[in-house]
Amino acid sequence: MTAQTAPARPAVIDPRGARFTASVTAVLLLVDVALGLVGGVAATLAERAVQPAFLLLVVLAAVFVWSAAAGVARNPWSVLFRRAIRPRLAPPAELEDAAPPTFAQGVGALVTVVGAVLHLAGVPYGLVGAAAAAFVAAFLNAAFGYCLGCRLYLLLVRGGLIRKRASTA
Amino acid sequence: MDPLLALAVVGALVAGSTLVGLAWRATQGRVRRVGTADDVELPGVELAPGATLLQFSSEYCSPCRATARVLGDIAASTPGVAHIEIDVAERPELAARFGVLQTPTTVVLDAAGRAHARVGGAVRASALRAELDRLVGARASVAA
Repeated sequence: MTAQTAPARPAVIDPRGARFTASVTAVLLLVDVALGLVGGVAATLAERAVQPAFLLLVVLAAVFVWSAAAGVARNPWSVLFRRAIRPRLAPPAELEDAAPPTFAQGVGALVTVVGAVLHLAGVPYGLVGAAAAAFVAAFLNAAFGYCLGCRLYLLLVRGGLIRKRASTA
Repeated sequence: MDPLLALAVVGALVAGSTLVGLAWRATQGRVRRVGTADDVELPGVELAPGATLLQFSSEYCSPCRATARVLGDIAASTPGVAHIEIDVAERPELAARFGVLQTPTTVVLDAAGRAHARVGGAVRASALRAELDRLVGARASVAA
């Protein structure tokens, strides 16, 4: 027997590309955590706005926002994978939906923007906390294939915040 | 913060995340027997005479596609066993009844709609076939 109300299956991506993107993101976030810990929070707003940890987080947040809006396939690290790495690999055993990692990029955008705002506001460890949280999510995805964004999506569905109309039930 | 201390914190973050990841991976794909409750009404779900593999999927779920293929193969090769895939966003009340906290989650139902086992995460065909053998008996073994 076949599926009854299977979810719509849109664009697909190479799962190794998604893992690669998550790996690069995790490394950069970890660097940002280290920079944030070493640099601390500067005294004035003008000083805080040019601290290395803040600048790197703004870049990462911009990448998250871009890939959440344009799709994870247009994330710069995904593009790098497609152009430089994928041609050297065998074709993937199977493709994955692009929707989960794109949703996860949106979650990453939210977390890093909050971290950047907290840093500008001078909140101690605001940037470090946000970057660390985003790192854990990206690292678990890169190393174990764990999708935190997927779980958050499910919680939103269970909480009744997201609802689709049943098509056949 | 002192750079060495910062390095130690970063190391602890990586180590802690690794432990979380290992603990999570150990729970994935494992077939768990669940206590047989009373017959449950499952509106809109057509139960097979042997066993029904009820898979909860969602739009944002990477391993759901692979799991759907594994379960579809098992259902196709095992008489009396059916595979039904449900989008949690369309049937949140069913997801709530079965306490689905991750996708995919697969619940093995008998002909009366009682849950016998469940698998969180991507399903391994061999483990699930063994469970089906126990549930539907010789018919499954012959076909498998």
